[in-house]
Amino acid sequence: MRDGKLDSTYLKRIIKTIGKENVITEYEDRICYSYDGTFQRGIPEVVVFPGNTGEVAEIIKLANIEHIPVSPRGAGTGLSGGSIPEAHGIALVLTRMNKIKEISKEDLMAVVEPGVITGHFHQEIEKMGMFYPPDPASLKTCTMGGNVAENAGGPRAFKYGVTKDYVLGLEVVTPTGEIMRTGGRTVKNVTGYDLTRLLTGSEGTLGIITEITVRLLPKPKDKKTALVYFDQLKDAAKTVTSIIYEGVIPATIELMDRVTINCVEKYTKQGLPLDVEAILLMEVDGSPAQVAEDIQIIEDVCKRNNCRNTEIASAYEERERLWKARRAVSSAIVQLKPTKISEDATVPRSKIPEMVKSLKEIGTKYQLHLPVFGHAGDGNLHPNILADKNDHDEMERVEKAVGEIFQAALALGGTLSGEHGIGIMKKPYLQWELGEVGLNYLRAIKKAVDPNNILNPGKIF
Amino acid sequence: MEYKYQDILKKCSRCGGCQAHCPLFAETGREPYVARGKIELIENLQASNIQWNDRLAEIFSTCLLCGSCSENCPNEVEVVKLVQMSRKDLMAARGLPIIKKNIFQHLLKYDGRLKTVGKLLAFYQKSGVQKLARGTGILSLFPMQLAEKERILPRISGKAFRDTYPDETGLKSPRLKVAYFTGCVTNLVTPKVGASVLKVINSNNVEVIIPKQYCCGVPALASGEIGVGKFLAEENIKYFKDLDVDYIIMDCATCLSTWLEYPELLKSQDAEHLAKKVMDINRFLIEVIDIKLNPPQELGIKVTYHDPCHLKRTPGGKSNPRELLKHLNPNYQFVEMALADRCCGSAGSFNLTHYDLSQKVAKHKIESIAKSKAEIVASACPSCIMQLNHSLQNSGSKVEAKHVIELVAECYK
Repeated sequence: MRDGKLDSTYLKRIIKTIGKENVITEYEDRICYSYDGTFQRGIPEVVVFPGNTGEVAEIIKLANIEHIPVSPRGAGTGLSGGSIPEAHGIALVLTRMNKIKEISKEDLMAVVEPGVITGHFHQEIEKMGMFYPPDPASLKTCTMGGNVAENAGGPRAFKYGVTKDYVLGLEVVTPTGEIMRTGGRTVKNVTGYDLTRLLTGSEGTLGIITEITVRLLPKPKDKKTALVYFDQLKDAAKTVTSIIYEGVIPATIELMDRVTINCVEKYTKQGLPLDVEAILLMEVDGSPAQVAEDIQIIEDVCKRNNCRNTEIASAYEERERLWKARRAVSSAIVQLKPTKISEDATVPRSKIPEMVKSLKEIGTKYQLHLPVFGHAGDGNLHPNILADKNDHDEMERVEKAVGEIFQAALALGGTLSGEHGIGIMKKPYLQWELGEVGLNYLRAIKKAVDPNNILNPGKIF
Repeated sequence: MEYKYQDILKKCSRCGGCQAHCPLFAETGREPYVARGKIELIENLQASNIQWNDRLAEIFSTCLLCGSCSENCPNEVEVVKLVQMSRKDLMAARGLPIIKKNIFQHLLKYDGRLKTVGKLLAFYQKSGVQKLARGTGILSLFPMQLAEKERILPRISGKAFRDTYPDETGLKSPRLKVAYFTGCVTNLVTPKVGASVLKVINSNNVEVIIPKQYCCGVPALASGEIGVGKFLAEENIKYFKDLDVDYIIMDCATCLSTWLEYPELLKSQDAEHLAKKVMDINRFLIEVIDIKLNPPQELGIKVTYHDPCHLKRTPGGKSNPRELLKHLNPNYQFVEMALADRCCGSAGSFNLTHYDLSQKVAKHKIESIAKSKAEIVASACPSCIMQLNHSLQNSGSKVEAKHVIELVAECYK
């Protein structure tokens, strides 16, 4: 571990490369780059804001000379500690590189710099009648570069897939400071190893993403939303599988359990029934005819599965009203306890009822608040543990509970992380899923491309 | 920091959502200037990892207290309170900057002295000394864009509003009786706004009392000088508590929001009681009076509206001023502009201490106003109006910023 001080000769060379105004050295300012959306911390020795690919490459070359660790960072909204400068060194922030370089309606693709804010990108292409589906909850803040590095998902993943399904090509600064291009502008491309996919989700350990080419879709013409109440959680779960059996793929299927519903109602007072066990929020999109047919099937399936009540909306304001409860979840559940530990263990869709049952048992066993809500369509439930980070006893129980959540997910054929990444938070559990052989394979790749272990050392494994 | 604020601190999960809503982060792109960074620093201060120093003083002064972050925070972290409490801690640790200290200790606490300074400024502006100072370029010798800052100072009225009007208007059988808290800007800078308030209220058969009063205290409170803030709050409560009135009306959104905080600040029953009577002039005219207007002409002048941060979060704070402007049809035609509720960057003395940054924030608003094609931008906070006029002039715009009540007053002879 480094002593937290950067050699002044190297600092001078960094300043010469990118300009004094783009380098932060004061301790108070560096503290503000020590965190992300987790409770992990690591204070960088210097924070740099390069303005182009060449500057990024120069900084990485300098870092290689003295073996200074570099942690790439976008908006710092990650939920696994991926951007935390755990090994100190350089925090390399890419937010200045925030240009949308090209949007092509003919080729249905766009080229962006890594610092472009995802929500802003959505707005710009939607104005032109196109659609980029990945929609992580932090989309108003998070960056495209961060989304690629973490392979971010979102509620629409069930129908539309996640970030990796849209990345066609990348420009990357390698861990030794060279500039490389992967993939390209075509949907089909089998030339060489698929490095685009390897780098997507590499959590800043294999390269720094400096340009992204993504494919786009035409914007769906219509949308309808359904909010459905269930007396029994198992009926809600069965509804999800039945809808898919009928050949309907909703853009989103969001589930809320009773604890979550109670918190939301206490908070928003919108008149949600407190005696139901589950709420499903579903949205279908596509052509008006398709949407009308799909929503009818959903309504029928819900009735067959003993739903109590169904509300359907198509106008924007009405749809927003139905979304109100789901959007309030995050604020509502902190009423229970202030510290929120968000997990994203994911199971095959058919195992959702079993996973929910296991989560309830884990919550009871460790006496923790554990509301369950999330993306039921893709099995990516978001069990959130609410605790108080200053209560050490409780935090120890949280740690044990998290371990058991992962075990439960793996036992059901699931995975540790659906969309948040491994980072620091899930590192101790990686072997459970990958085994020694899998881990060694990752280590071998890392060692081959980053011989000096410069890029985000200590992350993932 | 007090225990209550610990609970607020704990709520922040560092999700970073505040970045999307902070006008200063939009300009700087740097974490220390957004709520999340400041909260991390507060926790580090509490853990004694860092101590108050120049850099922290600068970081904590770089906040508009506009509250956009809190309004959009999934965990509803009350950032404005945290920043104010931090400024209080900072002041306790290091004292106030000498200029602010002098203003708070020697001016705000003495209504008479404040008036005298107003008169001196008016003399400076009217006597030709200002012209001389600007003409000779002597201002450019001073640091920190003093030349531009000097221009941000509004034209001070020679005579204070409260000295011009009697304490009571003396209607025969008024339907209601209100006390008018004028605020300093209306009193010293824009007496026209005060005159408009009186004209409109009297014409609706409502008796107005203008009691003795002090500054509401916001300049001191926002800077962490809680002692002076409390003193001023207590003085104001003293002069208003025994009045037999139905409401206390205000034309200044900032004074209003400060009064609404008096109960928490003073923890007194009087403050509690009076805060319930406090009402913004727009709300009073729409919700209490149910005002009917006969606009004198049919000019169809386009007018848009800027939401003061301190008004938009109070009951009816967004709807009532717009409703009032719509009552002015057909003389004025209300048009909504984009970013209407984004902070204008004034933030009390922020536009003096951080002139460049403040003007960058204002620029978005000025562009929005231009796109709306309005000829007038109305608002309901005198300090927003000063900032808007300054920035409009800087950009060479012909649009004028006015208080809603000035436009309403045109309907009365």
